[in-house]
Amino acid sequence: MNTSMMLATAEIRRGRGRFASVVSALALIVFLVLVLGALADGLFFGATGAVRSTTANAYAFSSDAEGSLVRSRLDISDVEKFAQVPGVDSAGPVGVLLTGGEGPEGELDLAVFGISMGAAGTPNTLVSGRIPEPGEVGVALADQQLDQFGVRIGTTVSVGGNSAEIVGIVSDTSYQLQPTIWTSIDTWRAMRDAVRPELSGEATQINAVALTTSADLGDIAAAVDGTNVLTAEATGLAIPGVEQQNATLNSIIYTTLAVSALVVALFFALLVLEKRELFASLKALGTPTSRLGWAVIIQAVVSSVLGVIIGSIVAQLFGLVIPASVPTLFRPETLITIGVFTVIAGFVGALFSLRRIARIDPATAIGGAL
Amino acid sequence: MSEQDATTADIGPDPLIDADQRPNALLQVRDVTKVYGTGHTAVTALQTATMSVEQGEFVALVGPSGSGKTTLISIIGGLLAPTTGSVHIGDIDVTALSRKELTRFRAERVGFVFQSANLVPFLTARENLLYVAGLIGSSKSVARARADQLLEELGLADRAKNLPEQLSGGERQRVAIGRALMNDPDLVLVDEPTAALDTALGRQVVQLLGREVKDRGKTGIMVTHDLRMVEYTDRVFQILDGHLTHVESSTGAGH
Repeated sequence: MNTSMMLATAEIRRGRGRFASVVSALALIVFLVLVLGALADGLFFGATGAVRSTTANAYAFSSDAEGSLVRSRLDISDVEKFAQVPGVDSAGPVGVLLTGGEGPEGELDLAVFGISMGAAGTPNTLVSGRIPEPGEVGVALADQQLDQFGVRIGTTVSVGGNSAEIVGIVSDTSYQLQPTIWTSIDTWRAMRDAVRPELSGEATQINAVALTTSADLGDIAAAVDGTNVLTAEATGLAIPGVEQQNATLNSIIYTTLAVSALVVALFFALLVLEKRELFASLKALGTPTSRLGWAVIIQAVVSSVLGVIIGSIVAQLFGLVIPASVPTLFRPETLITIGVFTVIAGFVGALFSLRRIARIDPATAIGGAL
Repeated sequence: MSEQDATTADIGPDPLIDADQRPNALLQVRDVTKVYGTGHTAVTALQTATMSVEQGEFVALVGPSGSGKTTLISIIGGLLAPTTGSVHIGDIDVTALSRKELTRFRAERVGFVFQSANLVPFLTARENLLYVAGLIGSSKSVARARADQLLEELGLADRAKNLPEQLSGGERQRVAIGRALMNDPDLVLVDEPTAALDTALGRQVVQLLGREVKDRGKTGIMVTHDLRMVEYTDRVFQILDGHLTHVESSTGAGH
């Protein structure tokens, strides 16, 4: 191991140029994967915040809605039915309205959530201000993202002439990449009726019921006719496009990581090919094949680690200049996962060289040229 | 073949083999035959070769290219297994060792000097010596002291921190000699040491090799096709078409 380390590190130190090529290739791959990962995270978090950042851990839908909040139609009376089911700690109505509104600095695209403040489904990511009291009308919580449009505590957001004063700011509550405001179910209904007059007769209609529960979700759905219940996580994934986006971006990410394994494999295959003569003489001198193999593995891992470090620095810098309208989110968890996978890919890539090294015959060290 | 056989076989000289038999010699090569391939594509590279070389002796192995000298020295150095016959170094039967044991044997007991030095290009002169010490797990301080001493003796003290590409051909070959001697081997095997050098430099290197082998009590074998270099050796063996013969005509080392 000692001699392997000596060979591995001396070659990298004194052959910086050639290792720079593989390190920069890996750094570029890591950069690409991290940006894709940030985009995947940004899209996922931006689409699902409204069902992740609340006190609810499950949502009930009408059974024909396939878990879609906007497609689901329940009645306000269902809230009480769910609240009666054993094992349900709290049940709250959820009304959703994707609409345009008027903020302090002009028009906004919004998702308006009508809830029963304090019941299941209330945002649990309060940044400043307060959560409205139950039954308090004409007030709302606003997502932090609306700050860029001048929406702050004390300002007013109105939809179809119904205005709500912002009393608290919450974070990570976007829905389908739209910033949200959270208000009482009555204020929400007034807004809905103003922009969707065709629904104005439906005075008791809501979209879903948010639940805080530890009971079996199948049992809960069975207790209320015509409903089904999903976990908050599954509700997020059921939002149109979320699962497809995740699957697409993840497959690009993992394919790209496989490419990095190939890059490492090719680079070291060439390097080993070039060093056949040297490796033959080292074997003749009494170097076990395993030590030469370790030297290559050490080099591959060192190159991958350097690639990860450089690639992530570049990705962070890129994250600073990326426009805010592009939904990206650089999470340490994603960085660590991608870093670990890249190093594993480098290790796996190096393994392809081992057979080649093993096949080098030390006897070829003698009598070569003449 | 056991030790017992090896000694009794010495009593009656084999009329077919014109090679001397020295029962106490460090290196004993007995009836070594190497056949490559099988059936009618079989090629006999070496035919019942027998030779003995004593401690402190530096011998030359000459012959045209393709004669089998590379095959013989590879078998002696544990790089190639003979088809039949045996090689003993002291009490070690080289031909009985496993591949793993051979790797260890080469690191501990054999010093190789290759044709074009074949130093590790990204290690300094000193590190090239330390590398082989690392193979047998020598302690770092002992290895460093020995490497410095060897480089000093080989006139390379001021080149210790140079990479091979910064050294001349002669210096590289001297580093290779230092590397061969680093682990204090029994056997020093030299493959065409002058191939990459001009005549004057080649002579210096071979002279140095002869002196190091004798002074340190090693057993040295040098493969060469250059007959001018044999004057620095004690004895000369010749191989022609796989047949090894002992030629008496060396003028002796140092002349």
